[in-house]
Amino acid sequence: MNYLEFSSDAFIAAFFLYCFGFIFYMIAIGGKKWSNRDPKAHVKRWSRIAFIVSILGLAAHLTFFFTRWYGSKQIPTSNMYEFMTFLGMSIMIAFVIIFAIYRTPLLGMFALPLTIIIVAYASVFPQEVQPLIPSLNSIWLKIHVTTAALGEAFFAVGFAAGLMYLLRVVDFKQTSQAAKRAQRWVEFTLYVLVVIIGFILTVFAFRGAGYEAQFLQEKVTIDNRGQESTTSETVMYTMPPIFKPYNSITQKMDSFLGMQEPLLETPSWMNGVNAGRKLNTVVWSIITGSLLYGIARLLLRKRLGAAIHPYMDGIDPEDLDEISYRAIAIGFPVFTLGALIFAMIWANIAWSRFWGWDPKEVWALITWLYYSAYLHLRLSRGWQGQRSAWLAVIGFVIVMFTLIGVNLIISGLHSYAGV
Amino acid sequence: MFQNTKCECGHQNHIGTVLCESCGKPLGEELLSDEPLEMRYDGVARRSQKANPNFIDKIWNFFSSVKIAVYLIIITLLASILGTIFRQENLLNEDPATYYEIQHGTIGKIYYMLGLSHTYESWWYTTLLVMIGTSLVVCSLDRVLPLYRALSKQQIRKHLRFILRQKVVYQAQISGDETKIVSALGEHLKKKRYRVHMDGTALLAEKNRFSRWGPYINHIGLILFLLAVLARSIPGFQMDMYVAVQQGQTVEIEGTSYYIKNEQFTVDYYTDDELPDALKGTARAKLYETKAVLYECTANCNNVTQEPVLKEVDRHDIVMNDPLIYEGLKAYQSGFDATPRLEAVKPVIINKETGEEYGPFELEIRNPKTSFEVGPYKLELHSQFMEFAIGENGEPTTLSREPNAPAYLFILSGPELKAGGEPYLYFPNQIDKLQFNQDALNRPIADRFEIKVNGMENVKLSGPTTYLNIRKDKALPYIWIGATISMIGLIMGFYWHHRRIWLRVDRGELSLGAHTNKNFYGMRSDVAWALGKAGIEVDPKSLDNGGNKT
Repeated sequence: MNYLEFSSDAFIAAFFLYCFGFIFYMIAIGGKKWSNRDPKAHVKRWSRIAFIVSILGLAAHLTFFFTRWYGSKQIPTSNMYEFMTFLGMSIMIAFVIIFAIYRTPLLGMFALPLTIIIVAYASVFPQEVQPLIPSLNSIWLKIHVTTAALGEAFFAVGFAAGLMYLLRVVDFKQTSQAAKRAQRWVEFTLYVLVVIIGFILTVFAFRGAGYEAQFLQEKVTIDNRGQESTTSETVMYTMPPIFKPYNSITQKMDSFLGMQEPLLETPSWMNGVNAGRKLNTVVWSIITGSLLYGIARLLLRKRLGAAIHPYMDGIDPEDLDEISYRAIAIGFPVFTLGALIFAMIWANIAWSRFWGWDPKEVWALITWLYYSAYLHLRLSRGWQGQRSAWLAVIGFVIVMFTLIGVNLIISGLHSYAGV
Repeated sequence: MFQNTKCECGHQNHIGTVLCESCGKPLGEELLSDEPLEMRYDGVARRSQKANPNFIDKIWNFFSSVKIAVYLIIITLLASILGTIFRQENLLNEDPATYYEIQHGTIGKIYYMLGLSHTYESWWYTTLLVMIGTSLVVCSLDRVLPLYRALSKQQIRKHLRFILRQKVVYQAQISGDETKIVSALGEHLKKKRYRVHMDGTALLAEKNRFSRWGPYINHIGLILFLLAVLARSIPGFQMDMYVAVQQGQTVEIEGTSYYIKNEQFTVDYYTDDELPDALKGTARAKLYETKAVLYECTANCNNVTQEPVLKEVDRHDIVMNDPLIYEGLKAYQSGFDATPRLEAVKPVIINKETGEEYGPFELEIRNPKTSFEVGPYKLELHSQFMEFAIGENGEPTTLSREPNAPAYLFILSGPELKAGGEPYLYFPNQIDKLQFNQDALNRPIADRFEIKVNGMENVKLSGPTTYLNIRKDKALPYIWIGATISMIGLIMGFYWHHRRIWLRVDRGELSLGAHTNKNFYGMRSDVAWALGKAGIEVDPKSLDNGGNKT
């Protein structure tokens, strides 16, 4: 068990090193305009420091991974916590590979926060080692999951470079119709990222406070023969219930800011597994995220995109465009191999068929189709630059939906990786 | 429309050629612009670009368009999303006709009526896949042949406009021996693994041309894969069935000459020591294992009257992720049922009027004897029902061959019974006896006689049942070959890049142009490196001639 404790410490170290790396990147870019220094030398010096700190973070992350593997005697990629931490690590690896090719350290400015968000998101899930269920007990768990995650990590770097490109080229001073639309969408993308941060903060704030509420939900199901049966089920909330489960009674509820009773009830048509709790979490994330966003707007007195845009000066947009495309082009074969071919080989061994139209399989195919369309479009005139950057951003949304959304919203054979 | 396709260098080009196949001079509209050249497929005419397309040409042209290919991909993508909105029919245990409406209301009903509940088996989804396959074939053939022709006979000295309208361009005055400088540059480029061809003061350096074939090899793999997938719908191409085998039993695998035996089935759970706190007390399975033996029938195979002769051919402990594999036949662990079932009972006959008890006699559930002598009584087995039910005509019937609710109709004869015997319907399971109301069915004999089991010691229960998924899939090898070819093509195309540098010196002016199909960053640094070695220092970025990069 000592190895497992050590590995948790390494994980925390990695997290903080990533955070420092990100702060140093911000100093590198933000400090350009400070007086008494040569901007070029400043950027070079600080981005170097930031890069070294990020590499140390990756080293700590790798330590976490291998000590956990050794301590638990199974590769740590078998539940959502382990998978998301692995994805974060893969993004760092992909970033280092792309860095080795292009030597643009400033890419870390976007790759790092992405890693930080994903690693923090991973920590939302239970962190214990869970012994493998028989269907996961295979060498292909190691091969399929790691390769697929690495491919997705390159898509993530493509997304980071794409977003950077947009922040670089979308001019927040222009007032033409097209410019305004681009501004709105860039701002919306940033807002979504803030909401995700809001979600993570909310989870940890209420977890820290030990908040709990408990409901007894009655579920009426009608079977084939039209017979009604009622089951009741206890639902635990770790965030104050803005929405309580549909058709439920409160058993126990900590008060929150004088709120003694749930405010609203989840509508009946949301009938997935734990629909009430998920809706409540989403609403809380939007509230916290919007608060954060509002505070940032008040402090900056302008839109986030408009605030970031000037700092992107001096970065060559065409390089960013190429990096984004290149990251995706490197990731595509890896993704094909890991998420489709290895997946099919394993499915053929474990589930007796190489393809079964399970939602996760379909979404991996959708991701693959999407990026093949992207790669074909890049061949045509007019699909480079901004359009291509948007495609990279949307592509990553699809990747994240495949990884998380499918588990949260659609159930299927991959549900063991769920929450 | 008449189009002059003869280039000034004397080469006769095909209609639709953008860049002269010989000297590279831009033709047609390309000539008017100053933008970097469109270098796709080296500017050759695609096969589909014909002056007077006929009907077949038009179909060919439709499928040869990359734009159409992208549309097909996007439509398939959207269709695939539709299929994941609600659960697909093949994953349902319930009746699909009612499931969607009950679960999801009107939207569910519409979903079902539109056939989206079996999206991936629908004719239109298959059509999309076939269209993508066609597009793959046509797009590839349309481009790969002209491209191959163009790349295999390249001219070294290119037209000046061709060179200066590349995306990577360098031009400068040089002094000294022109041929020497050119050949020195060539030597440096060789160190970067370029193949260098010289023609006086003109040079062509090229590397990794093979990567241009990557996409086409990938497409060949995908076509093979798609064909294999489509072939699976041909009857007999694949087999997919489930067998339930009780511990100790041997079961015939229908449609083959094989029999499979379950020697022992084990299910193991993690102990609390092995589980983290959150999971303690839950039954978390560790292992499902069927010790299986595969037999091949060698004689009396389809003979009802005689026992088949079986020969053991394979033996394997089937667990998840480790099926039994024998000559293309695979048996996978799929599920189990640990609920004990009756294997045999030892009932007695009771004369209710006298209280006398006779027996017991042994009744095997699956293969009962046809007559029994019990004390003074004689039982003739008239008929047996493995899963008893009352049919629509009011007659008893059986729903399956599995002993889920076994019942036996005996003709009981002996003292105090009518000559020729009286019928008695016997349910070994207490629960069936009550459900089907055995006594009412047997009246009036039920008032005088009873057949029943005294105590659990007279009941023999069977071991657990394992469910095995038996599969045969002739398409599999093609699937793997297709996937491998496709993967090789992807690696060739994405991890190597075709780079070319053209150079010519005209009256002391050096003109250099370079092109790559991917990664202009690397292209520029190659050129800057070679120029640097030749004593011309340039910043790689300054070589950028603008325009869009692919």
